[in-house]
Amino acid sequence: MNELNMVILLAIVLSGVLLWLLIPRHKKSRADIASFHSNLNDALPSARHYAYFRQIRQALSAADAKYIVENAPPQVAKQALRDRRAVARRFLKGLHEDFSNLARLGRIIAALSPEVSHKQETERFILGLKFQFLYALVWLRLSTGNLPLQQLEDLTGLVGRLAMRLDTAMTEISALSAGQVAGRIGA
Amino acid sequence: MNHLESFLSWSTISFEIVVCSFVFTRNVKRILPLFAVYACVLLSCGIGLLFTYEFFGFSSLTSYYVYWGTILLSAVARSLAIAELCRFGLRGYRGIWALVWRVLMVLSILLLARAASDAWGQPNRVAIYGTTLDRDLALASIAILAVLLLIRNYYGLALEPLQRAIAAGICFICAVDVIGNVILRNLYTGSLFSWFLTSQKSLWPALRPQIMRVNDIWSTVHLLSFMFSMGIWCFALRKPLPAPSESPVLLPVEVYREMSPAINMRLATFNDRLVELLKP
Repeated sequence: MNELNMVILLAIVLSGVLLWLLIPRHKKSRADIASFHSNLNDALPSARHYAYFRQIRQALSAADAKYIVENAPPQVAKQALRDRRAVARRFLKGLHEDFSNLARLGRIIAALSPEVSHKQETERFILGLKFQFLYALVWLRLSTGNLPLQQLEDLTGLVGRLAMRLDTAMTEISALSAGQVAGRIGA
Repeated sequence: MNHLESFLSWSTISFEIVVCSFVFTRNVKRILPLFAVYACVLLSCGIGLLFTYEFFGFSSLTSYYVYWGTILLSAVARSLAIAELCRFGLRGYRGIWALVWRVLMVLSILLLARAASDAWGQPNRVAIYGTTLDRDLALASIAILAVLLLIRNYYGLALEPLQRAIAAGICFICAVDVIGNVILRNLYTGSLFSWFLTSQKSLWPALRPQIMRVNDIWSTVHLLSFMFSMGIWCFALRKPLPAPSESPVLLPVEVYREMSPAINMRLATFNDRLVELLKP
């Protein structure tokens, strides 16, 4: 590809990205920041998907799978196993949402902070990219038939702790933004 | 200047007058003074160029230099308007702005250095310098706007509608300029290069129609894209501007200092668990 084609392609790609970014979005916008002080719980739904792990574990257990394979007709068993994988993928998607909420909390706090550390921001950005990559790999693994339930349970436990931490953090920030604990911070 | 070029030049000036009228009636200089300057520079350049054509002739050397001068002056004014767009709305978020301006400054210096070095290596002809520099500046403008919008998007800080329209207009002009300048520069440095060499004077009469045709096509495309962008700006300025939004209430710095490392640590642990999931 000669220089002419490369520059033209680069200009088109960059312009496309720019125009795509210029499309107004209602989900991620200044509204997030605006509503942050007034209604934290609505602006940042806390991690909640982990709460369904018991049901998911039951539905995906090896005993259930064995029972289905042994008792159901082959077609039905095949369909049931496929559905189980779909459920696991959807659950993983929910965990992804929980991760995104936490990362978003970090970005909003950074946006509303009078000082930010470029090290922290770069680190969070890289962590986000890494998560997207790993998430895609795990999703592929689930899609190919492996259901690592124990690890999924560990992951869920982590998300559970995150959820608690998120709730505590939001309460603290809510109090700070209302100036209720200004004295404590200054002390 | 043929009828089409004359018509396009007058149409462009009409659009520029409308944009400037909107800029003054809506008091845009209150919130975006450098964009107001950019609009005035565009109008001044358009009128100046038209007068130059009238007095010195369309094909004169003076017109040629004035044309390239106005192109570079517009590019400088556009860059300042882009710098203002970068600053607008982010200055209230002091922490993020302190981070963003450094990133954009480094990017701008790199892109400008590239533009300068690219133009430096060109044959010593104004048209080739001009197309190279204009191409690189336009590409730099698109890149800086794209990075700015990516950062704003990442932190959930959307642009206001007027600023979005200004950015879209600038992006369109720059994209057309990049593509046009690349093609034009390739022709100037390729099959039409003899036009710039005094040693090849005998070929000039044969090349003249080709040069005129290339310039005609490029002028038409450039002016049409320009009018389209100004149409976007006029549309955005058709209504009175909303009152400037209030500065956000910032959190105490301790919140960030405490929370940010904790959140990053949690996110890192999350990633570690995902890695464990992938182990056989």
